[in-house]
Amino acid sequence: MGRTYIVEDVVEGYLTKQCEQTAGPVSGLLIGQSSTQREYVVTATRTPQREESTASGGNSPDKEWVTEHARQVSRMLPGGLSVLGVFIVTDTDAKDTLTTLRQLVFAVENLISSERLWTSAEDDVSDRVVLHVNPKTRKTLCRTFDVKDPKSVAKPADWKYQSGVCSSWSTVSCCVSVDVLLPLPDNPTATEDTAKCLKVSARAQKAPQFVVGGGVLRLCFLQEGLRGWAHQLESAVCLIDGRRLAADAELAGGQKRNVRQTYSAQLLITPDERRLAEGVQRCGGSVSVSGAVYSTAYLHSNKPKARQAEKLLKRDAVSTLTTRAQMLLEELLTSGGASEGSSRDEHQREQFCLPHRVFCPVEASGPVCVCDYRFSDEGLSEVIDRLKEMLDMDAAEKDLDIRRETPAEVLEGDAADEPTVETAEALQSKRNYFGAAMATTVALLATAASMLYLNDV
Amino acid sequence: MVVSDSLSSDRGTILRVRGPLEFKCHLVSTDARHMLKVISRTFETLKSQVKSESCVLTVCDSPVIIWPNKDVYITPQEITPNAPCDDILKWIQSDEQDPAGLRSAKKKSKKSSAASVINLRLMMEATKTGPLSAPILSRTVQKSHFLSTTFPVDCVVRTTVNETIKDAFERLLKALTHQLCEMEKVTLQHTKGTTLLVPEPLHFLLPEPKGLVTVVYPAGVPDSQLEAQRKELHQQFELPDDWPYFRRANTYHFPNEPYKDGYLRNPHLVLTHPTLDNGKVYLVQGTYSYHHYMQDHTDDNGWGCAYRSLQTICSWFQQQGYVERAVPSHKETQQALVDVGDKKASFVGSRQWIGSIEVQAVLNQLLGVTSKIMFVSQGSELASKGRELANHFLTEGTPIMIGGGVLAHTILGVAWSETSGQIRYLILDPHYTGAEDLQVVTDKV
Repeated sequence: MGRTYIVEDVVEGYLTKQCEQTAGPVSGLLIGQSSTQREYVVTATRTPQREESTASGGNSPDKEWVTEHARQVSRMLPGGLSVLGVFIVTDTDAKDTLTTLRQLVFAVENLISSERLWTSAEDDVSDRVVLHVNPKTRKTLCRTFDVKDPKSVAKPADWKYQSGVCSSWSTVSCCVSVDVLLPLPDNPTATEDTAKCLKVSARAQKAPQFVVGGGVLRLCFLQEGLRGWAHQLESAVCLIDGRRLAADAELAGGQKRNVRQTYSAQLLITPDERRLAEGVQRCGGSVSVSGAVYSTAYLHSNKPKARQAEKLLKRDAVSTLTTRAQMLLEELLTSGGASEGSSRDEHQREQFCLPHRVFCPVEASGPVCVCDYRFSDEGLSEVIDRLKEMLDMDAAEKDLDIRRETPAEVLEGDAADEPTVETAEALQSKRNYFGAAMATTVALLATAASMLYLNDV
Repeated sequence: MVVSDSLSSDRGTILRVRGPLEFKCHLVSTDARHMLKVISRTFETLKSQVKSESCVLTVCDSPVIIWPNKDVYITPQEITPNAPCDDILKWIQSDEQDPAGLRSAKKKSKKSSAASVINLRLMMEATKTGPLSAPILSRTVQKSHFLSTTFPVDCVVRTTVNETIKDAFERLLKALTHQLCEMEKVTLQHTKGTTLLVPEPLHFLLPEPKGLVTVVYPAGVPDSQLEAQRKELHQQFELPDDWPYFRRANTYHFPNEPYKDGYLRNPHLVLTHPTLDNGKVYLVQGTYSYHHYMQDHTDDNGWGCAYRSLQTICSWFQQQGYVERAVPSHKETQQALVDVGDKKASFVGSRQWIGSIEVQAVLNQLLGVTSKIMFVSQGSELASKGRELANHFLTEGTPIMIGGGVLAHTILGVAWSETSGQIRYLILDPHYTGAEDLQVVTDKV
């Protein structure tokens, strides 16, 4: 008994379109949601064209390129959506491509899971699908591999098209405030630090580092630092629509089909009882991440459980923050120095704005959205370009939902000694309600108050 | 240093909130003045967190969650803020209740006179109403110090009968804020150089009408170094100096809270007293732990009864705060007897029986406690000692070891009638070989 894949009709049309183009074999990703009984494929996207054609091109897909595409696409998927597998449109015999596809699917899984801060659970589905489409005969071959088992063999699976697969999925969302303060290591170039980075992941070790004024901000350091926050969220008490539900309770108790449900969640956290470093320690400085992230997760409409909703929502919250931190570091690396969105004050403190989250529905009338991150110096057109390049989506500005988060703004003229976390947060929320002019007044008042309190020499 | 509960004479429910509060700050210099400033500022942040709408109190073993700063908003919404506090008790799943919610006759006798406790957990709501702005990453590069720790908040408020949830929780919030102020004082007082001592709140039960009182001590500082503070507290509460009310060993133990060491405390309390004509009950005062055969992985079945009785007595001295020494193991007891010259060195590790004289010697040697030995040539003579035993429990209040022939027991109290001379003894039997189960232990009695 193999897996069953319930696939949106539009995906069939998309794959047909790929068959009709003549530029050679096409590879791509299949995106959707897994559940214990079946899998739902919501959309598909072809691997973007590579500018330089590599020598090894030919008929087999470029493994590194496909996995890199999968990594970027994974960042654009909110909770409940993930890369379920790969497809290939080629007239090469299916049996010959199966090995390549198997390698692809394992490589994709390894890369995506190495970037996660949350650990996969026992009950997570570990089957990934490979789909082979012959453009001439239009025959499809569907197989699954278990990515938790390095010796797994191809198992047959059912591939069924249906309309409106995700049109009545439920949405759970919340706005999670982030307030993390971390010490910078005392001697950033020490070998122990490198060793610690190695433990995090091999990939993270090669990941971007940003050097400013002699200090080093490594991605793996940030990942380690955010691990405590991620753990707090994972063990948080979750309320859905104001109530604490039993883990096995169904989310939409006895609701009619085709009725879309939206739920609002609340997360209650408590500090970790186990402490990693107690007391006073030497450090090379500090890093604070402060603000809020909008987190959302989608659930299929076949009796979703509260426990599943909680799990997917929490994972999304953790992912969205770490993705943005990674993107910030990558951005700083490519812009080769202090980015435009930063400011440095005389107290050796620099502030960077993390990008804010923008949503775009997968289909015009459905609740399911993909997302992208927009830096403060970017326009919406860049978002639209990325949606086209990564997800092969044709979106217009009016389709984008930009109201879930407001862009971060660095506060000018904040003369407090250390990052005053609580003032920054209060100011940001005031900005939403009263407008920029009012916010500036509040900023000046806060500065004056803090100067009185500090009574500096 | 102290918060006292002025309404302690009523027998209302106790609200107890506990939870860790994260304390983190970046110290750009280790100059003392700067450190104190930064620590104070961090405490201000903690206080505003506790007073904010994000502060949440969850009731343990229950779906009830309360937002004390949002007009005391409660979920599930069946409970309103104007309901009496005791209503929350109905929502707590307790092991003692039958599925039918009735109490069996046997369990009725276990109803202790202590008030019921509602345990709450302090948490913060991480979610807020959006839209909010995306995060800012702020980085300061400077060779400096970082302070990171958690403070164990433990705050208690005794409600009055029929007090509404709204009033009780508003008081609890004030108590929480006050505790943070006390913690700040203790932290600032005990910060030296780059060491920081964690402030630890402890509760002490003072004689009525003062009731339950909370004191914040710096963790890790032994009682001996806190004598000055304790003297001050004794003066403040007008307490006599000969009973260690404020030593750590005397912290109030909340009902139904398990002890970390696993021993039962005062199992005799759940029993009903015998009735005698004109009789009065004279009991051991304070707490002791129940020591008996087979505990601590030591198989002393048949020979260890006097050792166990001695352990029970030692536990009394430790728990009333007279000594800090832990209860001695059998080997330690035997070694003490060798040290005073009463036994040969080969005694240690043997399974030899000891009697009252040896118990007296050990108490003197290990605890510096003197004891009186009373001889009775026959068991029946014990009845005539009723007055003396009653007096002992009134004045000294310690458990009594009784040994004779090949058996030893511990007397915890007597019910004695001055007019008829009738007497009944409350005995703690060290020959028990089972587990630390209150039900089994008291049924056997």
